Amino acid sequence: MGAVASNRGEPVNSTWLVIASVCTYLVGYRFYARFVAARVMALDDKRATPAERLRDGHDFEPTNKWIVFGHHFAAIAGPGPLVGPTLAAQFGYLPGFLWIVIGATLGGAVQDFVILFGSIRRDGKSLGQIAREEVGKVGGFTALITVLLIMIILLAVIGLVVVNALKGSPWGTFTIAATMPIAVFMGLYLRFWRPGKVVETSIIGFVLLMASVYGGQAVAQSPSLAPWFTYSGAALASALIVYGFFSSALPVWLLLAPRGYLSTFVKLGVVMLLAVGIIFLRPELKLPPFTRFVDGTGPIFAGKIFPFCFITIACGAVSGFHSLISSGTTPKLLARERHAVAVGYGSMLLESFVAVMALIAAASLQPGVFFAVNSPAGIVGATPAAAVATISGWGFPVTAADMQSLARDAGEQTLFYRTGGAPSLALGMAQIFVSSGVGRALLAFWYHFAIMFEALFILTTLDSGTRVGRFMLQDMLGEVWPKWGQTNWKPGMLTTSAVIVAAWGYFLYQGVIDPLGGINTLWPLFGIANQLLAAVALCVGTTILVKAHGARYMWVTSIPLVWLVVVCFVAGWEKIFSPLPALGFLAQADQLAAGPQTAATSALIFNARLDAAVTGIFLVLVATILVDSIRVWIGVLGGTRTSKTTETPFVPSRLAEEL
Amino acid sequence: MSAFFKALAQIIMGIVAEISDQNAYKRHLAAHGAVHSPDEWRRFQDEHAAANSRRARCC
Repeated sequence: MGAVASNRGEPVNSTWLVIASVCTYLVGYRFYARFVAARVMALDDKRATPAERLRDGHDFEPTNKWIVFGHHFAAIAGPGPLVGPTLAAQFGYLPGFLWIVIGATLGGAVQDFVILFGSIRRDGKSLGQIAREEVGKVGGFTALITVLLIMIILLAVIGLVVVNALKGSPWGTFTIAATMPIAVFMGLYLRFWRPGKVVETSIIGFVLLMASVYGGQAVAQSPSLAPWFTYSGAALASALIVYGFFSSALPVWLLLAPRGYLSTFVKLGVVMLLAVGIIFLRPELKLPPFTRFVDGTGPIFAGKIFPFCFITIACGAVSGFHSLISSGTTPKLLARERHAVAVGYGSMLLESFVAVMALIAAASLQPGVFFAVNSPAGIVGATPAAAVATISGWGFPVTAADMQSLARDAGEQTLFYRTGGAPSLALGMAQIFVSSGVGRALLAFWYHFAIMFEALFILTTLDSGTRVGRFMLQDMLGEVWPKWGQTNWKPGMLTTSAVIVAAWGYFLYQGVIDPLGGINTLWPLFGIANQLLAAVALCVGTTILVKAHGARYMWVTSIPLVWLVVVCFVAGWEKIFSPLPALGFLAQADQLAAGPQTAATSALIFNARLDAAVTGIFLVLVATILVDSIRVWIGVLGGTRTSKTTETPFVPSRLAEEL
Repeated sequence: MSAFFKALAQIIMGIVAEISDQNAYKRHLAAHGAVHSPDEWRRFQDEHAAANSRRARCC
């Protein structure tokens, strides 16, 4: 019906996307996931899980299925499923929608599920450990390096999303700045005044947070206070880098833990609110199903629909990062093997639905507004008049007066050039919320509430990611000199924190000074990296299946693997070698080198070449593990190599029925 | 119907307790044979937070 309406030029309601996605998820969950669980994995509730066998009251603990589901979902769903679909909406709503739904059902959920299964059968081991044991030492080391590099790019790109959302916005900056003293207050309250009262502390934190969103308006309107919270991108990036260092070095209980509680509750609450809003208010999709930018000339990021749509949306469709969580905490909590169907496969479907909702929120904006917010000045022109002329010339009419009026309603000075996806998503969400009849006067509040929500859990990912990166670096250095592996050794802690922060800070700064807005460079780099990690996980998953069943069921993981390898290598190749300066890093460097030389140009040339090198390193790393895996598969299938796995022997479960 | 809502409420409370580490704290107390006290909470926080902060969160 959606196709009929679209062909007749009628507006399409978002309800069609909701119905189509939910039906696909139900079919995928009921039939495909059950097939994989029964035939491919032979999940067996009579077999004791690591949570039961290794129960220690800390890491290993049999837990209610739906509680593990909530835990797992909270860990996998970050800003990615919100930002990626918003950016990919430059191709229209349909390509992103199809990739989110089909990619999650046949690829992303399968990856999460298979790695969770592999980890449950191996005492809850991590992806790196499984790779080392099942594929080989090269595979294990490659996985480790890949994860560290991805972490650095991820932190830079999500930092850039926050910077672009807060640039020149005193309201937003005040609100986000206020979350830091609020988190510290919560930390002290929980530590010394009301130890153990996490829910009470989180409620207080939430009330303070809402007060800061409300109070931000007064700050923005105050001639004396507003300048204190109005910063350029470079200043915000510097502040974020300093924040990242301190959050990595400070005690966890003071900042990270209370902020984590608050962020998780706000995240779940807003996602539910958005779902309720979309289901009951049924916004109309204003973006067309396909835009002219499928040809690769899009203003948000360069590149054709293939492969860049599939790179831009990683979380929400297929995300390699999930394999770290599926082989981290989750396998240590599952009470029964069959719970892995809901937790591994089901929670990815829910994340995919979050991505669909983000896409709907973005697609419910007027196309002209969507492109005016998301396009960098370097593409559409440095003045509002030039920008609206360019965007209207693309067939998406918008006027400077429309944008000025919208910015005023949203409590911002301008909404032009707010690249990164977060502001347009916040606008879309705010418009859905105000359409419930609460009045347009509340648009500014809801816009900044949505910005606060996005920035809050982006910063949570940023600070916890910095810390995780620091530990990974310390582990690696500890192999060379054990002292570095001691996480409480202050010089080591401070040095590795500084190295990790400097690494992502460099890429963040590079994004901030990029004349094309940074997202054009960094988001595809992150997407390629994340999808390549998915390829690593699917290599490991295929190896497990080949060792268990020979070639019979290897298609379950190898079909998404082949797709991702093709997508990533084509995208990586184009990002390095495309002759178009907007797309290819080397062509961009050559173009800059041919022009007048300044210090800034030299930096941009160096950055473009560095990005090309990083992309090349990613491709080489994944090619290494792919070749290593294929070598193992050929050996096992040809009978020249043992198919012995490291799966733990069967131990009967003694768990009571109540779990 | 009331049984359904009761079960739903239990699951929601369970998720809240899990996210807010109330369950983890109960397990900590049981594992150490301890009772709740400010010092015990701080000990739990240090152990639990140290382990938690090593875990990746996705993007």
